[in-house]
Amino acid sequence: MRNKAALQSNAVLLCAVVLVQFGLIEAGYRLKGGSEAAPEFQSLFTPDPVLGYRLKPGATARLTTAEFDSRITINQAGVRDREIEPKAPGERRLVVLGDSLVMSVQVSLEETFVARLEQRLNASAIPPATYRVINAGVQGYGPVEEYLFHRDVTSALQPDVVILGLYPGNDAVEAAATAFRLREGGTPRQADDGLSARQRFTQWRRRMIRKSVVLQVARLRVTTALDRFGWRPEIDPPLRTYLADAPPEIERGVAVARDAVARLAALTESQGARLVVVLLPARFQVDDGDYARLKEIVGRSGKALDRDLATERFATALAGLDVPVLDVLPPLREAARISDVYMQSTAHFTPFGHDALATILERRLRDAGLVPGPGR
Amino acid sequence: MVFNSLDFAVFFLAFLGLYRLLPHRGQNWLLVAASYYFYASWDWRFLALLIVSTLTAYACGVLLGRFEDEKRRRLVLFAGLGVHLALLGFFKYFGFFAENLRALLGLAGLRADGFTLQVLLPVGISFYTFIAMSYVIDVYRRQTGPCRSLVDVAAFIGFFPTLLAGPLVRASSLLRQIREPRAPTGAQAAEGAWLLLWGYFKKMFVADNLAHVVAQVYAPDASPGGLAVVLATVAFAFQIYGDFSGYSDIARGASKLIGIELMVNFRFPYFVRTPQEFWTHWHISLSEWLRDYVFLPLSFAFSRRLDGVRWLGLRDDVWIYAAATLVTMLLAGLWHGAAWTFVLWGAYQGALLVGFRVLALRTRRKQKPPPGGWVFEWGHAPAALVMFTLTCYGWLMFRADSLAQIAVLTGRIFTAFEPSQAVLRAVGLPLLLYAGPLVAIHAAEARRGSLETVAGWPRAARYSVYVALVYAIVLFGDFQGSDFIYFQF
Repeated sequence: MRNKAALQSNAVLLCAVVLVQFGLIEAGYRLKGGSEAAPEFQSLFTPDPVLGYRLKPGATARLTTAEFDSRITINQAGVRDREIEPKAPGERRLVVLGDSLVMSVQVSLEETFVARLEQRLNASAIPPATYRVINAGVQGYGPVEEYLFHRDVTSALQPDVVILGLYPGNDAVEAAATAFRLREGGTPRQADDGLSARQRFTQWRRRMIRKSVVLQVARLRVTTALDRFGWRPEIDPPLRTYLADAPPEIERGVAVARDAVARLAALTESQGARLVVVLLPARFQVDDGDYARLKEIVGRSGKALDRDLATERFATALAGLDVPVLDVLPPLREAARISDVYMQSTAHFTPFGHDALATILERRLRDAGLVPGPGR
Repeated sequence: MVFNSLDFAVFFLAFLGLYRLLPHRGQNWLLVAASYYFYASWDWRFLALLIVSTLTAYACGVLLGRFEDEKRRRLVLFAGLGVHLALLGFFKYFGFFAENLRALLGLAGLRADGFTLQVLLPVGISFYTFIAMSYVIDVYRRQTGPCRSLVDVAAFIGFFPTLLAGPLVRASSLLRQIREPRAPTGAQAAEGAWLLLWGYFKKMFVADNLAHVVAQVYAPDASPGGLAVVLATVAFAFQIYGDFSGYSDIARGASKLIGIELMVNFRFPYFVRTPQEFWTHWHISLSEWLRDYVFLPLSFAFSRRLDGVRWLGLRDDVWIYAAATLVTMLLAGLWHGAAWTFVLWGAYQGALLVGFRVLALRTRRKQKPPPGGWVFEWGHAPAALVMFTLTCYGWLMFRADSLAQIAVLTGRIFTAFEPSQAVLRAVGLPLLLYAGPLVAIHAAEARRGSLETVAGWPRAARYSVYVALVYAIVLFGDFQGSDFIYFQF
């Protein structure tokens, strides 16, 4: 009896110590900054009934890690760009929609491919023509939110061209998860509908991990260790888009993404603008070392990682929409021979990668006749 | 297979499960099989060396037990030592000596290309050859009895927890335990678990994180300022300590879980005040090995030659001590690696030991061990700080790639200190973060003079330490599974 009581008392004390230290480390992580979970970074966002969240007009934050140090300012229109003046005569306006690859919090605004594209277009513009390229990327958005964001926010900016930066790396997964937003009323499907106990537990576990920096870091550490020794039990959901025998939710996600792009195309057309889709590759599609590492990891699960398959899936799905689809993968691979296109600590573009992408986009836009110029 | 890998975790758990099911003889067979598998996982070809070493030691033991004639016994001893020294000499030192000989002949205008031969260094060879040699010597000296069981000798020499980086166990301790039936107690299991946790913390949190900082400053193409050199050298002091003592702790912890006790190899060595104390707190098993098998025989040999001399006002015993110490420490330096930087480090350690001995004689300061055992007191702090500084300069030699780099880095400390906030942030801050918790726990242990200090703390404090160590490993530890530094020795 006494032993049992002692055991219980030890267990309670141990749990208390674990929880207290967990809280202290979590607080430390959040207060220290350098993390997207830090309150300063989170202050960039505000809840939105349709989109879940959006960027907060006027908010500013600084993000510092070992690899970069950048300041982020949200303008009054609710995008990460300088203030947007009324459209001037002769001004041709481009809005770039997308996720974190477009928003690019890792670099200064001037270093983003959006800003560099504007510089390049203006450098060769014949007065009185000018170009204004607006960064409308929002961290964490998928194709569904990008469409809704344009419908509710950026269409008011009167763009002539809308560039949608799709990221095949995770857009299928995200589109499948947020398809409900396209429905009238946009209420989410009950998360636990029709799920087994194990699936419910997995969902609950994922939700918990998303809420805690400590758990995210711990998961990253554990998966790193498991990857190193080939013990990863499951393939990361985004990587499943690159499998020949992708699970049904990937096909469903691609279909939802296609639906969102079709709606966006119809919307832009109704407003007299043109839509162009740019397929932005994942790091391992460009970086050979990263690809070799992931290929080995996926290979251990008995699956084969096809480096270009996600891009091809999206290109095929969008082919019938009469929307130009620009694949920037081959020229980015060329650029990677000169310098790093992606960062080491995150799968986002380096300043060199942004510059290379801007150069590629300028050429492709001219080739597609979306902006006039020598390339046409 | 390294200790800080999932492969080892699975290997050890499977081993432990089987081990508990088997009787004593079966456990020893399993120990041999597991040890050979563990070693072969590095490179199966080197297994032959381990087998040769084991068979030689076993045969020598049997013959030494059989022969009474001193001449024949000595012949067996020399044969046993000769085989091991030949293995060590060829695999570890051939390249070094050949390169230096070629350079020497080159100075004389001669070419000697025939000496070029790439020899791979078998991991752990310095450890298991020394263990095997100590067995042969101990049997020769009749300090331990010859073992008739080849399996027991193989389990002793190939014992996987100590195989790659020690401690340098003796037959009187480990072989005796292997020959006797054993079952781990609850207390051993608890101590073992603590040692595993503490060892992994030292390796993955302290050593591997500091390694990145040190590598930047010591990179061959780097030109660091003096402050960066000083801080990186202190960081290296904690890196090598965390790495090596972490390995020893894991080895001791794993051994306790199978009911085997290994000697303590490190006792908070950066809190000591003298070089003599340092070598009784740092890599204790090597110090004792060198003392018993090199220093004492050398002292005996020198005493016959230097008996009665009195030079520079110093008596013969000082000269005997100096000569034996310098030779021993030069060999200790060479044991660490076939490079002039290690030889210089050994000479430096020898000079410190001799210098302090002479200084103690001149100032008539007697070194008496305190009656209750070694305990750190705050009054010792200034002397400990001086000793730590001297130790760190030794680590600069140890870590440098060449004698030229030692000269350059030393020069930077005195001629281009270049203090800056950037250096403090890049080197000083990680040093504080990664070494700070280790120093805090060791300070508490050194104050009591006991490595079991944490175990004696109140429950809440103890649990706080355990949980903090787990968090430190999981959240901030290096999960790249890098090798232990001492594997190369």
